[in-house]
Order: sequence, then structure tokens, then C-alpha cells
Amino acid sequence: MSTESHGFSLREWIFTTDHKRIGVLYLIGSMAAFAVAGIMALLIRLEQSSVGPTIVADVATGGNQYNVWLYFHGAAMILGFLIPGLTGFAANYFLPLMIGAKDVAFPRVNAFSVWLFYAGIVMALLTFVVNDPPDVMWTGYPPYSILTSGNTAFYVFTVHLLGFASILGAVNFLVTVIYMRAPGMGWNQLNMFVWSTVTAFVIQLVFVPVLASAVTMLLFDKYLGTHFFDPAKGGDVLLYQNLFWFYSHPAVYVILLPALGILFEVIATSCKNMVFNYKAAVYGGMWGIVLISGEVWVHHLYITGMPDWIRIGQMVSTLLISVPVGLLAISMFGTLYRGAITYTIAMKYATACLFLFLIGGLTGIPLAMTVMTVHLSETSFVHAHFHYIMGIFATFSVFAGVYYWFPKMTGKLAGEKLGNLGFWFNFVGVNVTFFPLFIIGVQGMPRRYWNYEMFPQFEPFHKVAMLGSLIVAVGMALTIYNWIVSAISGEKAPANPWKSASLEWTDCANPPGPGNFTKDITVSADWTPYNYGR
Amino acid sequence: MSHSTAEHAHHWETSWAPLVLTAGILFLVPLTFSAYFVYQNHLYTMVFAGLGTPLVLIGVAKWVSEGLTQKPLLAGISPSALPYFIISEVFIFLGLFTAYWTMRLSAGDNWPPAGTPEHMNLILPVLMTIILVGSSVTYHIAEEKLDHDDIGGFRSWLFLTILLGAAFLGCTIYEYDHLIHQGFGPSTNAYSTAFFSITGFHASHVIVGLGIFLAVLLPALANKTNKYFAFCAGMYWHFVDVVWFFVASQVYYW
Repeated sequence: MSTESHGFSLREWIFTTDHKRIGVLYLIGSMAAFAVAGIMALLIRLEQSSVGPTIVADVATGGNQYNVWLYFHGAAMILGFLIPGLTGFAANYFLPLMIGAKDVAFPRVNAFSVWLFYAGIVMALLTFVVNDPPDVMWTGYPPYSILTSGNTAFYVFTVHLLGFASILGAVNFLVTVIYMRAPGMGWNQLNMFVWSTVTAFVIQLVFVPVLASAVTMLLFDKYLGTHFFDPAKGGDVLLYQNLFWFYSHPAVYVILLPALGILFEVIATSCKNMVFNYKAAVYGGMWGIVLISGEVWVHHLYITGMPDWIRIGQMVSTLLISVPVGLLAISMFGTLYRGAITYTIAMKYATACLFLFLIGGLTGIPLAMTVMTVHLSETSFVHAHFHYIMGIFATFSVFAGVYYWFPKMTGKLAGEKLGNLGFWFNFVGVNVTFFPLFIIGVQGMPRRYWNYEMFPQFEPFHKVAMLGSLIVAVGMALTIYNWIVSAISGEKAPANPWKSASLEWTDCANPPGPGNFTKDITVSADWTPYNYGR
Repeated sequence: MSHSTAEHAHHWETSWAPLVLTAGILFLVPLTFSAYFVYQNHLYTMVFAGLGTPLVLIGVAKWVSEGLTQKPLLAGISPSALPYFIISEVFIFLGLFTAYWTMRLSAGDNWPPAGTPEHMNLILPVLMTIILVGSSVTYHIAEEKLDHDDIGGFRSWLFLTILLGAAFLGCTIYEYDHLIHQGFGPSTNAYSTAFFSITGFHASHVIVGLGIFLAVLLPALANKTNKYFAFCAGMYWHFVDVVWFFVASQVYYW
């Protein structure tokens, strides 16, 4: 490899247009967002661990403090960690390698995307600098977001910058996959991760702009005096919720799809198996999700009041999306079947994901049912449901990906001992944290309350959840510490430690140099990234 | 679409243009807006705008000059990529139109709402349409000149296109000024909300389009052109033109 190793150069990193280095920059930025948002989560759990003020100053101002934590936790986890971690870090580093390309189609635009992402993180972090931080959750519903004395503008601009980064990334990667696949590589020979990223970017391309327009109207209403969401002047307050969820429900699949894509890579490699039902999973599962994702958003508005025909229609379309999701789940479990499974740390996270996916998926069904949802809406049941399916499941898949590709990125092996320890703390911790919330949710514990003095019977459950969050904190600290230490002084990795058949392992160095491959890649008609001869 | 290994395999590619442009955008848009509208701090407004503007200009200039001199990984791909970006743009406009349609349809007979001038100027939009369509035609001629390697002709027709675009913006400024003096501003009622947001958002696209044209014209003065860049500038401009038909028909004549 003509890497021309002349040591570390800061200039070469911050001005880089190389997709691998941009991927690493995405990983660093999104892990930073994850850490700060995780601290917010800890504050939230600590506050709820007792009825009345626990760590907030007093009853009068407690709500404001708590709302800022909620805002930062939600906005930074979703927009600053999950989406950039999956479609920024993982897609950037590995998608071009998997299709045998030297870089993405527009390397400078790619660098532009990652710096827009960092600008978005800067706007989010200004929350902790100003005297009037945003306190509008990650949803920014009016009229509160317009009437609040908090700085809604920072929320809007965070969304704008991260959204712009996403749209440019979507254009870049779609064009890359369409035009830059290695000669001979057909559509049915792509890695599952490549397909999952393509479908996620299709969703981003179409739906992010609608969110951008919605928050722009919010900005205009609050600061320029327009009346989009002001019923007194002929505006419509529910319009915002519709536009917001028109993007933000599909955003769930922007996270789900690449997360599943990583799991497919980890599972197929760790089982040395073909991906079961490849075409059904890609064309039925992934594209099915793209197709239906835009027709289900109204289920977020069930309790705002709507005609029955919309409510029933949305229930049907929401339940319908379990068909493509089911196809993907069958495909994942089928890939395990008769596999020669090796439980690496990545595979442990992947297996945990299957469990989390099951719990999170099944608890989604009652929420889709109109008869049940009136009872469950706005309770911590919803909170626990989306943390299982979106929060933890997707986070664990990012971790599976980092462990799986760690030798590729660093040339070193990640430490087994700390890695395993971190895994078990994380896995036990998240379940201890969120399972109690299902139980009290069914019994009526409302979401988002910092002071639940009307429901003192739920306090023991919150104490358990707080304990769980502390366990997770230890697990996360161990995991991130392990990555840093292993990247610096880990054991040297073999060229293809997991014996994968995928191009990023078979045909380039650890880590790959400029231009990725030493020779031009061509693949034959019977090549697949999962060719394990089984 | 074969690309040889040798050219891109020897060193790490770098460019400082994206980082500088991003820093400029961060100062010029979110921070300047927040300083002015949220904190009403004129000093910070000036500082942020003063930092942001040159950074954006330097970033764009560097980017364009690299685009004109460096050999891309995959030449001629941008005309295939821009349509995807335009899909995104279409959906931003759809979001705004959805808001407008929602307000319009829920108002019933109470439209236009109180505060709207009795007689909106409906002649001006016709003139603006003619100007904008005319500018698409002149740019088409400019591109034909470029295809025949007539760079002088390209420059002249491009210059005319820019003049027409500027004239369109002039009409917008005249119209806004006139309406605001009649007491019809962004905060007047639901119609004014939609009117200023949609026409203003379209006008911002005209400004971006003009900026792109300047980025094509200035290097062309030194005989540096890239036909794909020129083609993409045109495609964006035609898109802005097409959107105007929707803006005009929905906002003025419905």
C-alpha cells in the first residue's frame, strides 16, 4: 500500500476530503454529542428518582431546568448522534469500500457535510452558554415553542445545519452508489449495509426538507411575527405537528435501516452464512419501508382529535409497516440458521439488538392500535418503547459496527476484556432502566414530568430506573475508554480478523490508504459479499 | 466511468474550502440572525455578519477555483447529481405550500383576510414572469454559445441573464416596499404570512442562482469555464423559473 506514512498531520485531517477520515470525524463528533446527551439522560433519571425536587434547584424553576435537559438529550441523541453516527460515520467510512470505489462522487461536498454537522453541534452546545437555552424538547411544538422565553432559534438552526448536512450527504451517496460501483457489481451483489444506507438516504432526501420548512415557519412565527401556527389569525397549530412528524416518523427508519444494515454485516460474517432471503429483505423489506414510511405519521397525533376514517386508516398503514420490518427480521434470524456462530463483541451487541428489536417492536403494536393508544399515549410506556427500538437498539448497532470495523479503522484489535465487560454493563443497564418504565407506563405514569407528586406509588420504579442508568453510565465509560486505549496501544490486527468475504476486508489495508485499493476492483457475476461457500 | 488508480492513490486529498465556507455560513446565518432578532445586540450582529460574509466569499471562491482546475474523480457527474438535490428543494417548497393551502382552505369565505389591500397589483407578477422566463431563454442561448466554444458570446448572454435576474429582484423589492407602506407586512394576517414567506423564499433562490451565475461569470472573464458547472447553473436557474409558475399562480391569482 502506498500509504506514504509521514506521521500525523492535523492539516491533513481538518482539511481532508477523504471519505474514511470524514467518517472518523463524524464518529468523533457524534460520540461527543452522545456523551453530553448521555449526561443529560443521567440528570433526568436522577431527577425522577424521587418525587419532587431531587437535583433541580426548587419547585418554581425545576421545570425549566428539566426541560432544557430533555431538549438537549432528545435533539442531540437523534440529530447529533444516531443519524450522523449511522449515515455519517458508518456510511462514509465503509460504503465506498464495500462498492470498490476510491472515494465518494463529491469529496469536497462530503467535507462540507461533516463541517455543517459540526456547526450544528456547535449550535446545540450553545444551549449551555446562553441564559435562555432552548426548552422545546426535540419536537419544538407550538404554541409553547413560540411563547417560551427560551431560545427557539438555536433549536431551529441546529435542525437546519444538520438537515442541510443530511441532504448533501444523501445526494452524494446516492450518486456514488449509482455511478461508482466496481465494474461487474450488480444491484443484487451489494452489501446489505449499502442497500440499507441507500434506502435511508432516499428517505432523508425527500423528508428532511419538509422538517426544514416546518422549523423555518416556527422561526418566522416567533421572531418575524408571522401566523403559520396561530389559530387566532387563521393559522393552524396542528399543521406543525403534521409537518414535523411527516419527517420525523420516517426519520425513525433513517436510523433503523442502517442499524439493521450493520447487523446484517456482523451477523452474516459471524455466522459465515449467506444473507437469508436477500431479495425479499432488500426489495420487500427495505424498499417496502421507504414506500410506507411516508403514510404513517398521523399516528403521532392520535390524541389531538381527528376524524375516525383518518384514525383507522393510519392504524392500518402503521400496522402494515410491520410487514417489511418483519421481512427484515425473518431475514436476520434466517441468516443465523445453521450458522457457525462466533461470539465476538460485535456479535454480542448484534445478538442483544435482536432481543431489543423484539421488545421494542412488539410494544409498538399496542401503540398503533387506536383503542389502546388513548390509554398509553403520553405515558412512559411510549418513552420505554421508543428507547428500546430507536435509542438502545440503534446505539447498540453503532457499537456493534465500531467493534466489527475497529481493526479496519485502526489496524488494532479492540480489547476483549474491557469490551465484554462494557457490553454486559450496557446490556443489563438498559434493561434495568427501561423495563420498569413499561410497567408504570401501563399504570399511567405520564411522560416528561419531572415532579410526579400525584403518583408517589411510582417512585420505587424510578429508583430502579435510576440504578439502571448508572450501570449504563459505567458500561459506556468502559466502552469508550476501551476504544481509545485500544486504538492507541491495542494488539496489531490480522488483515481480515473475522474472515469476511466483503470487499472492505478482502481487498484493502488496515486502515486503507488514500485511494483505498491497491488495484482497480472488478467483481465477477457470481461474487457476493457473503460468499462463504454455504 | 473507469478511473485510473495512479492519480488518486498517492496522497491524502485536502481542501480548506468546505471548512471555511461552513464557518462563514455558521456566522452569517444562525449567529447573525440570533444576535439581531433574538438578542437585539447590534454589536454582535455586525461582528458575526462581518466575519461570515468574507468567509463565505473566500470559501466559495476557493471551491470554484479548485473545481475549475482540479481533475475530479468522476468527470461530468454533477448534471446527474443536481436533480437529486432539486428533489429536496421541491419538498421544501411543498412544505410551505402545504401551510398556505391549509390556511387558505380552512378560511372558507373569509379570504382574503382583513388587512389585505383591496387591489393587489396583479400586473407586476406578469412582468416578473416575463423577465424570469426571458432570463431562462437568454441563459439557454449562452449555453449554446459555450457549446460552440464562443466564450465571448457566452459571457455576454450570461451577463444579460444576470441583469434580468437582478431586475426580477428589483421588482420584488419594489413590490414589498409598496405593500409594507400600505400596511401589509409579514405579520398582518394569514395571507401576508404565506405571501411573504413563499415569495421571499423563492427570491432567496433567485439570489443563490445569481450568486452561482457570478461564480460562473467571473472565471469566464479570464476564459476559464467548465461546461458541467455552466450546465448545472442553468439547470438550477430553470428550476427556480419553474417554481415561480407555482408561486405566481398560487399566491397571486388564486
